[in-house]
Amino acid sequence: MFWDKTVETMEEGAIKEMQLRFLNETLSKAAGAPFYRNLPVKEVKSLQAFATVPFTKKQDLRDHFPYGFLRTDLSEAVRLHSSSGTTGNPTVVFHTVDDLEKWTDQVARCLYMVGVRKQDVFQNTMGYGLFTGGLGFQYGAEKLGALTIPIGPGNSRRQIWFMQTFGTTVVHILPSYALRLFSVFEEMGLDPKKDTKLRIFLIGSEPHSEELRRQIEELYGVKAYNSYGLSEMCGPGVGFECPYQDGMHIWEDRYFVEVINPETGEAVPDGEEGELVLTTLQKEAMPLLRYRTGDLTSIIPGRCQCGRVHKRIARIKGRADDMLIINGVNLFPIQIEKAIMKIPGVGKNYLIEIKTENFMDKLYVKVEVEREIFEGTLSSLTGLQERITEELKAEILVTPTVQLAEPGSLPVWEGKAKRVFDKREN
Amino acid sequence: MAYHLSIFMENRPGKLERITKILADHAVNIRAVSLASAGEFGVAKFLVDKGETAYNALQEQNITVSKRRILIILLPDKPGAMHDLLQVLAENEINLEDCYGFVIERGKQAALVIEAEKYPQAEGALRGKGYKLLSDEELSNL
Repeated sequence: MFWDKTVETMEEGAIKEMQLRFLNETLSKAAGAPFYRNLPVKEVKSLQAFATVPFTKKQDLRDHFPYGFLRTDLSEAVRLHSSSGTTGNPTVVFHTVDDLEKWTDQVARCLYMVGVRKQDVFQNTMGYGLFTGGLGFQYGAEKLGALTIPIGPGNSRRQIWFMQTFGTTVVHILPSYALRLFSVFEEMGLDPKKDTKLRIFLIGSEPHSEELRRQIEELYGVKAYNSYGLSEMCGPGVGFECPYQDGMHIWEDRYFVEVINPETGEAVPDGEEGELVLTTLQKEAMPLLRYRTGDLTSIIPGRCQCGRVHKRIARIKGRADDMLIINGVNLFPIQIEKAIMKIPGVGKNYLIEIKTENFMDKLYVKVEVEREIFEGTLSSLTGLQERITEELKAEILVTPTVQLAEPGSLPVWEGKAKRVFDKREN
Repeated sequence: MAYHLSIFMENRPGKLERITKILADHAVNIRAVSLASAGEFGVAKFLVDKGETAYNALQEQNITVSKRRILIILLPDKPGAMHDLLQVLAENEINLEDCYGFVIERGKQAALVIEAEKYPQAEGALRGKGYKLLSDEELSNL
């Protein structure tokens, strides 16, 4: 059950005591980085008092590119990871040997928690290189002892060939790509339930709905576990679902967790939604203090049945900057996914477009129709269109224009899915 | 039992052309066609001489196609003929879900294609009045 029983089953009091010690160590370590040199807080007496430390934002990482956050000597740093950085400087993160060992151990802990064992064959379809999803899982799975295939993303037929040839049991995959890959199984006349030995999917890197997870589980006959991570903390392995699939445990021996109101910066009570703020507790090369992840979630109150006390966060609703404001109504793309995935006859791919019409915002949702449900009449299609419109209205409180598309006609991605196209005139 | 092919398609340039190309490539002859649109998308119905060939070819190209049962009723090509036929259906309270027609031989023979909700009654009523219904084979031999 446990990779590291002492840490995973630690009691709340012991965790807090450890966190306070680590927070103070981190405060003094961080002061070695140019960005944190003049930190107003040197030491805190309680976890509550840590809220006096200023936030660190993604923009700070960009503004102090490239070495402003490195606190160790360059000779100590052994690895650099980086985000794509489509606007301005990319964000870079440095690791020492010890940082990499701890990260690897965290990933192994997550994998072991969901039942991956050394007998498993693990196929990692995430990108290798600067992106952390590839290497992070590679080292974690190797440490656990599973045969690990660093296949990387893309080339769906080859993915399937590897799965069949080597008897892959565990796959790390983008949720949108899992759906796309299933259609390739279908094209090849294969059924993953019968024609593979797949049993566990690790899905993450993209916000996705519970409905989408259930769909992946049904299509492949697997258990799919949600993975949470961000390169600023290390990458994957920051938080992970346990077998109860009820929120992601954040490893509190490695991170101090806060959820705040993004407007005021004040802490919100457990169960209430806000922005996740993380502080690294054992990071050597690049400690981050009260880092605003931009991810919206809530802390799930109460204790998990799995026996771990480590706090659980709810499925990520999106990033604060994913939020769409349609004629003054706030909504997240994930809510649209949640509503349409519930409806039989709707395909796995969808697309969201926002345009300006008569000075108003107009929301278009384009969904693919499943080939099997088409019985040949226009009325069955308009009925489906109405049903989708109603479900969406109930979920997002905005009336969209629903457009039905032919199966396979919407764009597909082998990397992260791009589903929102905001074409509004400013 | 006769059927036509009903196809779901987006209402955009080139979409219909894609279908006719597949039919042409498989030497399928189109007897009649009807289109119904709901704005962004619609349904096209094709009555063809080689239904099975066309259906398989379209499926292979991942076209969303379904077979819909129809009645193909022969009637004289003259004023009032369609009215006579519809009277029979109305008297028997048979509702039409879709309907289109084509001429087989000018001034002599035409055909009316219908999708109805009550097939056995419709067939019975029409045959009772002496109408001839075309089967699949007869359609391909036209």
